[in-house]
Amino acid sequence: MTERPLLSVRNLEKHYPITEGVLSRRVGAARAVDGISFDIARGETLGLVGESGCGKSTAASSLIRLEEPTGGRVLFDDGRGEGLRDVTRFDEADLKAFRRNAQMIFQDPSSSLDPRMTVGSSVAESLMVHGMTDRTRRRKIVENLLEDVGLSADDYDRYPHEFSGGQKQRIGLARALVLNPDLIIADEPVSALDVSVRAEILSLVDRLQEEYGLSMLFISHDMSVVRDVCDRVAVMYLGKIVEIGETEEVFANPQHPYTEALLSAIPTPDPRQRRKGIELTGKVPSPVDPPDGCRFHTRCHRVIQPDEYDLEQSHWRSLLNFRDEVVAGAVDVGKVRESVEAGAADGDAEATPDAAVEREIRADFGLPERLSDAAAERRLGDAFDRLLSGNEDEAAETLAAAFVTPCEESVPEFVDHGDGHRSACFLTARDERALERPANAER
Amino acid sequence: MATEDSPRFDTVDWDEITSGGGREVTKSLVALGASLAGLAALLLYDYVVVPDRTATFAAVGWGYDVTKLDWLLALSLLFVAFYGALPLYRNERMTRYYWKEFKKNRPAVASLVFLAVVFVGGVFGPLVISSPESELLRQFQPPVFMEIPQNYVIECVGERAAGVCRGTWQHPLGTTPDGRDIFKMIVYGMQISMKVGLIATLMAVVIGASVGTVSAYAGGMVDEVLMRYVDIQQSFPTLVLYLLIIYTWGGGLFTMVLLFGLFSWEGTARYVRSNALSKSEEEYMKASRLSGAGTYHTIRRHLIPNTASSIITDATLLIPAFLLAEAQLSFLGLGDTSVASWGQLISVGRDHLSYAPWITLAPGLVLFLTILAFNFLGDALLDALNPEARAEAES
Repeated sequence: MTERPLLSVRNLEKHYPITEGVLSRRVGAARAVDGISFDIARGETLGLVGESGCGKSTAASSLIRLEEPTGGRVLFDDGRGEGLRDVTRFDEADLKAFRRNAQMIFQDPSSSLDPRMTVGSSVAESLMVHGMTDRTRRRKIVENLLEDVGLSADDYDRYPHEFSGGQKQRIGLARALVLNPDLIIADEPVSALDVSVRAEILSLVDRLQEEYGLSMLFISHDMSVVRDVCDRVAVMYLGKIVEIGETEEVFANPQHPYTEALLSAIPTPDPRQRRKGIELTGKVPSPVDPPDGCRFHTRCHRVIQPDEYDLEQSHWRSLLNFRDEVVAGAVDVGKVRESVEAGAADGDAEATPDAAVEREIRADFGLPERLSDAAAERRLGDAFDRLLSGNEDEAAETLAAAFVTPCEESVPEFVDHGDGHRSACFLTARDERALERPANAER
Repeated sequence: MATEDSPRFDTVDWDEITSGGGREVTKSLVALGASLAGLAALLLYDYVVVPDRTATFAAVGWGYDVTKLDWLLALSLLFVAFYGALPLYRNERMTRYYWKEFKKNRPAVASLVFLAVVFVGGVFGPLVISSPESELLRQFQPPVFMEIPQNYVIECVGERAAGVCRGTWQHPLGTTPDGRDIFKMIVYGMQISMKVGLIATLMAVVIGASVGTVSAYAGGMVDEVLMRYVDIQQSFPTLVLYLLIIYTWGGGLFTMVLLFGLFSWEGTARYVRSNALSKSEEEYMKASRLSGAGTYHTIRRHLIPNTASSIITDATLLIPAFLLAEAQLSFLGLGDTSVASWGQLISVGRDHLSYAPWITLAPGLVLFLTILAFNFLGDALLDALNPEARAEAES
């Protein structure tokens, strides 16, 4: 983009301290947003997607300073000819002026309107706060605006509970608009609404955006909504952006496995054309202790195998899941043994109960009876021997030493795929390098 | 351009508006300011112009000397009018809705009527009824339809029969040992009760609600300090302080009311805080901050109105507590003997329970009914003022 952006977020961080004890000693931090960067141009809509808990909403409230970000910069051009200024360093007066330029639509229309205020005064409140002392003028402006968002001027004196969810979201939209901002952050604006109402609100948003030249940051977990609304999309996973680019490009040609998984979850209208659903295995890691290296490697279906092995991809995934569980001490051999013995008591006496237990555990984790790679199988067998003989720590050590993915060893850098489409994954990084230097002995 | 008659949000020149600055001055704010100024002027007049032992309004021929407590009562009534009655009058639809909900609770409606009688009696009774004078000859007159053995009375107002004196309508509730009319004393006591209940409660509610909401909204260190102070105050023996004051400076109703008001808001603060905590997490609080509103505005316009139901309910529990406390202190002989409170009356009758029980029972019954009425009222108000319950029921 040659044009100067309206909003430019650089390495935005929001860490929540975790404290312990009477003296509130800081023992760690939940890294809800851990260094994200993106730009939004004037009139553009950027989608921010990711599963719940990945830090989308925290990112929104930190960049608009509902919460104080703990790091990074948020540069905003308020159109006064001073260029981009850092929102995180704004003092109160600057911040108040910034509020006129950046507003927000909330997820839950029911709780975002004060139940004890008429909706008119809720919308007009911003006008009053910013010094419009003329009551009749406020009222006129709000009445006009209410009509603009598809309600009637008479609704000014009604209370929120007298409206439906969709109508309340229209009011929320009016409130966000009333100060005539340049940027609107929409935090899952339609996820609390019925599907039928959703389309109406989205098209209203679209119309208003066009009419008033708004920029938007559109937060959603719903890829299909994002496809309809956004010009560009940023995919967020566990506090970091993993892929960003033009919506069409990202949807047609996802570069990050996580994006791929999200896209595979969109239902397609054509029943014959079935996209293969990608099921993510492994636990969702906590932002308090995010995984090393690429944060997605604990759940990635395309997690990279080291050069020494040549396994089926799903087996490699299962193997890593198994390793993580053993290292976490979450594999209870005793319990499995009990259940195996209970099953064996029915009749056929097992010659080697250990073998049955191993088979059971392998089945649980989706591991085959024998891995196709001999070296891997030997090490896995080794680990099983130790695990079954009660040496869980040794088993964990063996597994941790034997099976290591390159994904967890270092953090992937962003790779540019052209037109601002970037992603952070070793797979694409490797492909690009392979293209550049075909002779490179990667394997 | 049609912006003259239909201003639109996108044509607003914000630079012009914000540079103008200034607060909006509403009519009600002006009215409140004027009333307060008037009150202050009268107060100044009383203390500066009027000589010490002259009645305040002697100049216009009204022989009543306004006490400190009366000034406080006037102030309290002013606040109740501007922050209670006026908003109810303004938001007519909301008020009608509350009334519809409130009406469903019949005991509460009866209570409201009873309390209205007490309120009106308290405000206007002393203006129309002459103050109960001591007439020793008419001591121990029984109430209507009751009688007392002749040997207790000096002069029987009603008819005498077979060694007993019967009550008359002249003293419908009988008289005290020094011959004061009990009905008149109860009416005068209404005003005392109103002062105790209203002033002390208003003080406690204002302080408690402010501390509670600020504590909940600010959080962190502010919350910690305020709540620890509340802990300290809660464990502080106010009764001992009151005794101390009585013995060093001499007590009085004014001192009592002041102490009630200043040292019993901690329960309110706690209760309001816990309610405000859940409210301050609501998205409309965020939205208000996002509109650029300051902390004061957000607390005043959103947090307090939304915790109002808990504040009002708490107030309806505080009032009876104060009335009871006053009665108890009076009964123990620690009250203000110069005022005709119900508690004083009850304690006067203490020694004569066996032959003149009405002296204690009549004010006791009124006190009991008042307290009961407040409890019913509180219950019904909590139900009526809870918009969440309504919103859930409708959606």
